[in-house]
Amino acid sequence: MRPAALDAPRIRASDRRFGLLLLAPSVLLLLLVGLFPLVYTLVVSFQQITLFEVDTSFAGLANYRMLLSDERLWESLLHTAILFSIALPLELALGLAMAQLFLERLPGRQIFIALLVLPTVIAPLVAGAVWRLLLDHRYGPVNQIVGWLWGEEAVLLWTVNPLLVYPAILMAEVWQWTPFMFLILLAALTNVDRSLTEAAEIDGAGFWLTFRKVVLPAIWPVMAVALLIRGLDLARIFDVVYALTGGGPGTMTETISIYTYVLGFRQFETSYTGAIAFLVIAILTVLVVGAVKRMGLAR
Amino acid sequence: MRITRRLFLQTTAAATAAGLARPAFARTAADRAVEEAKKYAGSTINIVWEAGLQALDPLNFSGPKWTELTGIEVRVVEVQTAEMFTKIMQEFRAGTGAYDSLNVIPAWMPDLANAGALEPLDALVEKYGYRDELQAIAPTYRDNQMMVDGKIYAFPDDGDVFILYYRKDVFEDPANQAAFKDAHGYDLAPPKTWAQFAEIGRFLTDKYAPQMYGAAFFRQPPYTMYMFQERFRNEGGRFFDADSMRATINSDVGVRVFDEMRAENAFMPPGVEQWGFVENLAAFLSGQTAMTISWPPYGRWAAGYGTDESALSWVPKSTVAGKVGYALPPGGHPQLAAGFCLAVASTSRQKEAAYLFNQWLNSEDISMQRVQLPYALRDPFRTSHFDDPVYKSRWPEAPEYLATLEAGSETGLLDLSLLQTDRYEEVLRQSISRLWAGEDPKAILDDAAAQWDQTTDRIGADKQGAVYRAWAAKSGAYPART
Repeated sequence: MRPAALDAPRIRASDRRFGLLLLAPSVLLLLLVGLFPLVYTLVVSFQQITLFEVDTSFAGLANYRMLLSDERLWESLLHTAILFSIALPLELALGLAMAQLFLERLPGRQIFIALLVLPTVIAPLVAGAVWRLLLDHRYGPVNQIVGWLWGEEAVLLWTVNPLLVYPAILMAEVWQWTPFMFLILLAALTNVDRSLTEAAEIDGAGFWLTFRKVVLPAIWPVMAVALLIRGLDLARIFDVVYALTGGGPGTMTETISIYTYVLGFRQFETSYTGAIAFLVIAILTVLVVGAVKRMGLAR
Repeated sequence: MRITRRLFLQTTAAATAAGLARPAFARTAADRAVEEAKKYAGSTINIVWEAGLQALDPLNFSGPKWTELTGIEVRVVEVQTAEMFTKIMQEFRAGTGAYDSLNVIPAWMPDLANAGALEPLDALVEKYGYRDELQAIAPTYRDNQMMVDGKIYAFPDDGDVFILYYRKDVFEDPANQAAFKDAHGYDLAPPKTWAQFAEIGRFLTDKYAPQMYGAAFFRQPPYTMYMFQERFRNEGGRFFDADSMRATINSDVGVRVFDEMRAENAFMPPGVEQWGFVENLAAFLSGQTAMTISWPPYGRWAAGYGTDESALSWVPKSTVAGKVGYALPPGGHPQLAAGFCLAVASTSRQKEAAYLFNQWLNSEDISMQRVQLPYALRDPFRTSHFDDPVYKSRWPEAPEYLATLEAGSETGLLDLSLLQTDRYEEVLRQSISRLWAGEDPKAILDDAAAQWDQTTDRIGADKQGAVYRAWAAKSGAYPART
């Protein structure tokens, strides 16, 4: 009689095959849903499809060459980078400060947390529309409040004046997504081992030193993931800007997502839009891989 | 079968009776559409309509009525104006047959017809005897908003035109008249030129602000884009050099119009640069502005016509009813801004049912009722609409209102309509937002002209040139110069 142990590898191999067989439909489905659109977009980007014409002939690298001379494209990437580089640190700093505040057992803490998180459940397009109303010169309360503080009527045209459009977008963006940072960082801070912070305090470390040397390393993995999620969202920012300024004045606040939308869905430049989509994918892939490596998330 | 004399007489009599009865019964285009459509009873047609008030026409009035008369269900697909072109084109390329009847803006028709998204209607017009009633559509709309390359693709169904609304009581005030004449040497009356408009606007603002300002407009770019097209052409501007197809909007005329538009904001209410349709309407109806230019519904609502209806509950109650005068905007050639036409989708699987619905909607009988629906935003577009005694009795100044709309339709200017019109319009919209942001008008228009040239080159200057020249040859493309 063969010992049971000798049969085990044969059984595991058949199990593995069976397991792979069970997984195959899901994997195929995922490939179909996830990969096919990407491959199709890549193919389209080498053609010259617009919805106005029936011509779908091969265009070679023409669409990719066009990227280089498209000033509006690079400007829209710059606008996206501006929003990214201001909003992300702001949301992080404010979210962290709020999370630190709410670590203490304050009266009504749960109610406040629930209220603070409300903006994140609103659709970004609605948030943009709400802020457009809030900032409206005629009906919005923001100019009223500024007027009371200033002592005379304030004519601040938030969606018209070039000096005010970015602050307007940033206000709406930071208002909506700081609570996301806050919630995640609050969870991370709650899990920091109290004995370590107490030990640091006993050793004479101040608040900043304790935070830098004890708390930050403890919450870093969670904070990094939160930064990555929000960073990716900001790289694709569309709704709030579209609702507030439509990318204007001119194209001053046009982000890469808005430009892609305009080209694809208003001007029907299907193939060129595909090329832009791949440029964006390439940029984001480099940034995400670099960020993951630098943040130590791949370890 | 043996044909007896009795059978012959009976058959002849029956055929004669049927022949006589048919024209007597189906005596109008509307009747004919209903009779013919009954064979499609039990089917459903999907119609694309502008979301909001416009859609209340087929939702509350024409849709249910058509179902009652023919047994055909009408499903209204509401789409925002800004998305309508995209949705129609996408559906056409997808070829799903999801849409049957379409509302299209005339400026889109070259694109839609050339792409093949619209069904040519000539054969159906003949088949269902609609030619005569089509001819009774007001000439500007009939001759300019119905055909592409000599074929009928849509029925003009909305007489959009910009009208100057002004406060008669303020203009007729003897003290104002005397003071204005002293200051400017001519009578205070609705302005005939933009220079007069600026002088009157400033005069009234100086006297009444902040309670009332001399004028205000909707200044948001999508609306102002139309106003620029109007003013630019009234002042003698041409969009392109017809031979080279190079853009000429950055001419001295264009720059002057931009300069003047921005300067006018100084005597308009603070923040007017942000105003859209509703803000401007609210200000005029509440008596905060003495002049404005807008589409025809402003005139009806200012008179209080139909504003008690729940659909119009958002319209501020008019405090100026009975005090509003109507005139053509300065220059005398108003923009026939936007407007809607009824078309049939080429991918429809029920083209005839959709066509018959359009014929019925657009007919003399039914359109007369539709343009008087206070909530539906359809404006008079048939000669009979302007002369209708019922419409003229709707409010005391309605005859004057209708006469002004008719005059506007006679001298009105068509929206620029080319291949990929939206690309050209987008440049104008962006240019206007840059103007309000304080940039140099000449620099803005130079950029705009360069972008127009780029688009023209991408489409093909010859191809676009042919479309432009066909458009420019229309009676409403540019003001007639004597």
